[in-house]
Amino acid sequence: MTHNMLWRIVGGLANVQAVLLVAPLCEGVLRKVTAFLQSRKGPPLCQPYIDLLKLLGKEDIESGESPSLQRFVSKLALAAALTVACLVPMGFAAPMNGAGDVILLIYLLTLCGICTLLGGLAAGSTYSLLGIGREMMTMIALEPLFAIALLVGAVHVGSFRLDAVLNGSVYAAQGIPWSGLILLVVMIMSFQAFVQRVPFDIAEAETELMEGPLSEYSGPKLALFKWAQMVRLVVHSGLFVALFVPWGSGLAFPLGWMLFWAKVLVLVLLVTVVAATHARYRIDQAIRYFAGLLAVAFGALALAAYGF
Amino acid sequence: MIAREKLDQLKAGAGSAILRAVLPSDRCVFVFVEPSALKKVCQYVFRDLDARYVTSIGADDRPFSGSFLVAHNFAFDRDHLLCSILTEIPADNPVVDSISEVVPPANWAERELRDLVGIKLNGHPYPKRLVLPDGWPEDSHPLRKDVPWNFVPPDYDDEREYEFGDPPEGCTVVPFGPFHPTLDEPAHFRLYVDGERVRGCEYRGFMAHRGIEKLAESVLTYNDIPIMAERICGICGCVHNVTYAQAVESAAALQAPPRAEYLRTILLELERLHSHLLWVGLACHIVGFDTLFMQCFRIREPVMWVAEKITGNRKTYGLCVIGGVRRDLTVELKAELQQVLDRLETEWKAVTGAVLKDRNIQQRTCGVGVADRKLVKEAGLVGPVARAAGVDIDCRRDHPYAAYDRVAFDVITAADGDVWSRVVVRAREVFESIKIIRQCLEKMERGPIQLTLKDELPAGRMGMSSVEAPRGECHHFVITGEDNRPRRWRVRAPTYQNLQGVPMMIKDQQLADMTITLGSIDPCFSCTDRLETIDLKSGATRVWSPEELLKLGRNKQTL
Repeated sequence: MTHNMLWRIVGGLANVQAVLLVAPLCEGVLRKVTAFLQSRKGPPLCQPYIDLLKLLGKEDIESGESPSLQRFVSKLALAAALTVACLVPMGFAAPMNGAGDVILLIYLLTLCGICTLLGGLAAGSTYSLLGIGREMMTMIALEPLFAIALLVGAVHVGSFRLDAVLNGSVYAAQGIPWSGLILLVVMIMSFQAFVQRVPFDIAEAETELMEGPLSEYSGPKLALFKWAQMVRLVVHSGLFVALFVPWGSGLAFPLGWMLFWAKVLVLVLLVTVVAATHARYRIDQAIRYFAGLLAVAFGALALAAYGF
Repeated sequence: MIAREKLDQLKAGAGSAILRAVLPSDRCVFVFVEPSALKKVCQYVFRDLDARYVTSIGADDRPFSGSFLVAHNFAFDRDHLLCSILTEIPADNPVVDSISEVVPPANWAERELRDLVGIKLNGHPYPKRLVLPDGWPEDSHPLRKDVPWNFVPPDYDDEREYEFGDPPEGCTVVPFGPFHPTLDEPAHFRLYVDGERVRGCEYRGFMAHRGIEKLAESVLTYNDIPIMAERICGICGCVHNVTYAQAVESAAALQAPPRAEYLRTILLELERLHSHLLWVGLACHIVGFDTLFMQCFRIREPVMWVAEKITGNRKTYGLCVIGGVRRDLTVELKAELQQVLDRLETEWKAVTGAVLKDRNIQQRTCGVGVADRKLVKEAGLVGPVARAAGVDIDCRRDHPYAAYDRVAFDVITAADGDVWSRVVVRAREVFESIKIIRQCLEKMERGPIQLTLKDELPAGRMGMSSVEAPRGECHHFVITGEDNRPRRWRVRAPTYQNLQGVPMMIKDQQLADMTITLGSIDPCFSCTDRLETIDLKSGATRVWSPEELLKLGRNKQTL
């Protein structure tokens, strides 16, 4: 038992380390590919690491309404994203999958969003408040989507256990897995919003709200928020792969592991291309868009309930 | 003949109020009226004769005629005529009836002449300070002739702040600017926002007024001013340079040689090319479409290089002197320019193809920031903003200057008056500019590029000129003077009018649309005024006031 426990902790730490280290690299790939699409040379792949180090080494300026809350939230944002990383298989089986169930995962994903809200609220400037207003609207429309995807999986396999659900469970229906396929389309269409990229970077919208909730943050706190955002990209990609593209994950060590990260990389490239070829939506347009997707997702849930 | 006809019409309508008239050419007319009849005459010109309001000028003419001058300029675009309604105001009691009630677009220009020349306005609907800084005393007016150019009022009150009106009930105040990522220059919009909707706004700009007009009237000479005029704007500098030269030439009845006129046309169009390419890029950036922003800048760069090869500079071409231009175009450069145009045309076709079909961009710009025909008239909007609303005005055709009467081109218009229409108009105008430059290169013949001026320019003559800048009509008014410099030089950039329409365009729009709406007029404000330094050893910070910075700059010290 103790041996098992220790193994889980080591595995969890390994996952956290891997995500922390790989996330800036994904950001670097994203920047490089964006630059390629824009006829630019772009920064070196390691630039996000350098950026984070630079920000972490800067003076910590307290410029918001409630500095203690701001300090806390910046750490919580990264911590929440990393906790998700412990629960999601990152090439191996999820190390801590016994520590909670699907409901915990849904809560943790929501907590990531709430950190942005709290961060903006604690900063308290006009633009932050406008930004969190938008973030809140986005969250209300968006968070149920992932929840529904996980629920559909849970319905299909008849369990809330993480390892059961996070293994392509959405396709576990008898016959053609209609609900799973519908959700796959819905999730691809809303994925940009989960990772807060153009065309759904509405809450930050540099040219409108001057980074919105983050506008009062600088130095180490900004580094943590930025890191959390990069981790979000990896964790959400990992979740997406585990839930919707599980094929080949069962292969023996180097193959299955490599296949997993290849799939994550493809997803990052997809995010990049979509972000580079779209203009930002206005919040009302985005909400209408999400509402449509949400309606379809509920339809899929109903189908799943009847075994399709 | 047209000038004569208009004058007769004016006489029929305004009767005995007209004191005298000057008709230097068939392109412009100066009408002097009784001060008491000014409002009525302007109303008649603006409403009954349906002229377009251009700008208002105040001048301190006391050393010469013993009175102040106020002029309201109008344009009859279809008749190719510029018309100035002037009145002389006694020096001891400088008060004039405000025309803003009957000619709403005169709002800013009247406040400016009140601020700078100190002519009091009777019955102005919104008599707040416009140009002078908040701490400037009420009774000091920099453009008066007895105020030296470097005058600093001893009772300047650094603490005084601008008083904004109260926000409408239920609205929060969102400060937009003076520093904001999409504002390239400082200007402040105080937005009254209800949720995500903008219910109203108040504007405070002129944060870095540089007093260029005063310098021109007191320190510079006729041929210094074009170089200074160019520095009014970082993007359409050449426009000011040419407009000024043409205004002086029209006052002194000079005509630049044909080759000079072609060269002016070519460089004005090159400037329009790089300005429109920049704007389409920026508009994409504002709505978050950075890929197209980068591509626009890549396509634009060769235009900057060829301009540098022709004039020695990417920007600030230093093109005009009175009576001609300073640089000629060599055969090699001509060939290179043609190549640049060919490549630009192909690449721009690809970009417009992508932009005009993009549903994503249309969603963000259709029906946004609408300025209809009525607003164009009531706010005096010009350029692509007016043309996007279906108002067919373009100074290149309506008030031809340089070589525009010798080239064929289309005036691009659209119907809806929204941001999307402005995108379409600007994107298509690029092709017209390419067409114009090609014709100029073909038709230009060898010859002198400057007049030889043997005599001094006559004093006390008036001249005006309108040039179609990338952003709309740029208008200069000049009264020639002694000491080799003008007595009065008034500049009205296109943004001066277009900015006045922005509060109406953004009213009841989404907050997210504010930046693209403001961006869609291609605003052009002007530079910066303070900074903070940190002592690395002690960590002490210090904020420098504008005065301290000025002092440092003048004494050439380091911080």
